[in-house]
Amino acid sequence: MATEFHNLQELRHSASLANKVFIQRDYTDGTICKFQTKFPSELDSRIERTLFEDTVKMLNNYYAEAEKIGGQSYLEGCLACLTVYLIFLCIETRYEKVLKKISWYIQEQNEKVYAPRGLLITDPIERGMRVIEISVYEDHGSSGSSSGSSTTSSSGR
Amino acid sequence: MPVGLSVGGALGDPSPSRSFHPSRYVPVSAAAAFLVGATTLFLCFTCPWLSERFSSSIPLYNVVIFLFTLANFCMATFMDPGIFPRAEEDEDKEDDFRAPLNKTVDVRGIQVRMKWCTSCRFYRPPRCSHCSVCDNCVEDFDHHCPWVNNCIGRRNYRYFFLFLLSLTIHIMNVFGFSLLYILHHTKQLDQVHSAVTMAVMCVAGLFFVPVAGLTGFHVVLVARGRTTNEQVTGKFRGGANPFTHGCLKNIAHMLCSSQAPRYLGRLRKPHSVQVQPPFLRPPLSEAQLAAKVLDNGIQQSKSSLEIMESQSTDADPPPPPKPEHRYPGLPHTQNEECSLLTETPPTPSLYKYKPAYSSPGKKHTASTHSSKMSRGNSMTESPSVPVTTGQPSYCSDPSLSSRGGAGCRGGGEGGRAGSGGLGGASGFGGRSYPSFTDTLLQSAAASCSSSLRTAQTAHNALGPLISEGTTSTSYKSLANQTRNGSLSYESLLTPSESPEFESAAHELSPPRPQPPHSLSTAPGAPPILGYTSPFLSAQQREGSLQACPAPLRPSPNRAFLCPTSSPPSRAPPLSPRARSLGSPPPGPAPGHTPLGKSLSYGGGAELQHHPSSSGGGTPMPNSTIKQNMANHNTHSHKPAGGVKKVTGVGGTTYEISVVND
Repeated sequence: MATEFHNLQELRHSASLANKVFIQRDYTDGTICKFQTKFPSELDSRIERTLFEDTVKMLNNYYAEAEKIGGQSYLEGCLACLTVYLIFLCIETRYEKVLKKISWYIQEQNEKVYAPRGLLITDPIERGMRVIEISVYEDHGSSGSSSGSSTTSSSGR
Repeated sequence: MPVGLSVGGALGDPSPSRSFHPSRYVPVSAAAAFLVGATTLFLCFTCPWLSERFSSSIPLYNVVIFLFTLANFCMATFMDPGIFPRAEEDEDKEDDFRAPLNKTVDVRGIQVRMKWCTSCRFYRPPRCSHCSVCDNCVEDFDHHCPWVNNCIGRRNYRYFFLFLLSLTIHIMNVFGFSLLYILHHTKQLDQVHSAVTMAVMCVAGLFFVPVAGLTGFHVVLVARGRTTNEQVTGKFRGGANPFTHGCLKNIAHMLCSSQAPRYLGRLRKPHSVQVQPPFLRPPLSEAQLAAKVLDNGIQQSKSSLEIMESQSTDADPPPPPKPEHRYPGLPHTQNEECSLLTETPPTPSLYKYKPAYSSPGKKHTASTHSSKMSRGNSMTESPSVPVTTGQPSYCSDPSLSSRGGAGCRGGGEGGRAGSGGLGGASGFGGRSYPSFTDTLLQSAAASCSSSLRTAQTAHNALGPLISEGTTSTSYKSLANQTRNGSLSYESLLTPSESPEFESAAHELSPPRPQPPHSLSTAPGAPPILGYTSPFLSAQQREGSLQACPAPLRPSPNRAFLCPTSSPPSRAPPLSPRARSLGSPPPGPAPGHTPLGKSLSYGGGAELQHHPSSSGGGTPMPNSTIKQNMANHNTHSHKPAGGVKKVTGVGGTTYEISVVND
């Protein structure tokens, strides 16, 4: 019995993955990378709507910046042609640079906003930029107690 | 040699795309051979004379064009066209079983169909297509080119187009300069140089027609903003193309946009952020609270299903789960007792049973069930935090959580375990299915934990009813049922209250306006089998109830009272409805319903009516009713098969058959 309690108390504050929420792409403006800012109902009790929307809007802005056709991207293309694309071995493309920024931003958001609320955002690039995956965690306990009881039972044998 | 040919087979990989198909490499090898071979011959045999005769810039120019062509050829061949990684299992869980084949999405005003890809397990984004040769979904799929043995998609379309363009120019150069040579060597045609030049000229001339044709085709495609796939399948034949931005912009997009990133083969950074409870919860708005009540069924079903699958039928009552530990600094005692004692209006029946479980609750002797429940509980907010309504989604009574009634939420949280209704925390012992009657009776002590426990057992009961392998389908079907149940309860229970329990309410709780209140107080001890209403606990606490938004209060009760939208006037119709209510996860409706509807699970499927016990008219299983009978004599317990007529507050009349178990 004591073992049980001990395990329980130890594992009491662990978080377990309960659910995953997927934010789909918003194709209303074509195939540009843009995610829906509609607030999913599963997160209703987990995070404030404004925080979530801010995150998604920021991500959309980043992606728009990456896909922008302007001076930098044109120059990149010309340079690539001239160097027979060997330039890709040396420099990082604009998109990759922005992806790094996005990755950093997501990590920052996770640390500051989402993890304290038991959520974790996965970088959409890992899902082929089709969805933003938000993992919903629940705090603990059952896993702790169940393992505790199993430990007890196993030790009992 | 079969093994050698089928690499995948040797490694045990059943995927056909993994096997080695030498025939696929023939066109690309031939194309490469012709390109490199012919150009080399041209440079070796024709160019020296050209550089002497005219200028050395000619060979230079040819070399540059040749290198550019080769580079684009290599990029088109070896670059990832924009392959989507396969969707992970958890992404398609919801989609798989009830996924419609197509999803329509609005792209700039035009409906575009997104098909479900069975191999990749996601809905293909617009313009994405699955290449059968490569067995991959490719973004902005153009076509699969055998000459480069690669798909042409978003990432490498530019290189493919430039390859075609440069190859056309190169062929024209070679043909032109070769012709020039021949014309100047008409009298030396028997020389090797002339012969080779003539051969090169023939090859160039031969390839010029198809290559130029293809180049022209793609120029038109780019101008129109279409892919080969769309052109060939005639997608936008008559209608407008939502993907075009105008000729110039299309060209700019194709040539000048930044290189798109690849999705495969990326270094995946593991999450460096730790997720540690306690978790912050946002405060709920009233609208959200109201929404939660209605949403209970869906979320409940999901979570309750999880719990059911993991729980086993257990004869022993699961000990009361420990109270919310979101804020570990707060003493548990304080949570449980404080709220019960200070915030709840004194309810003798409630406190009669509470003490028995207060200490165990704190220790929280673990059982799988209770542990699961407490997991659920943990989702609800800590009782000590009135503001965070915690799991509104799982708590049928948001007010409960928000009002420091949170105290007993520990029990109410049981609702979280997928039975919002069970959230009844209120020491009503929640509901459980008849099969767990004994257990429930024991645990019926009207403590928060008991409600939780019954919630757990209720889940257990539900388990056998629903196959273990239940998937999202059952989630959704359960959710639907629950919702229906809620709705029916709602209709049954007119806005004011559960009519069935009116009579009981009088005795048990003074104010009629709080039927749930009375309901909660009435049963007290007996475990209310069936649906636990979080409102039970809420209503016990007068104060918290006051704060409750008006619409919120009646609805939970309503939800439990009426299995169908129309007030049932006879018992039999109630039974099937009760059954349907029973199948969803326990306590789907926020309103606790001692109406014994849980009996449906036990096969009794008769709606038990126990007016005295309820205040909120929650269905009660037979055992509960019996218990209640003991406690509240106001309710006339009918013999088995008896039909009780109850007049509801709203003037509706219900006939409920009371069956002894």
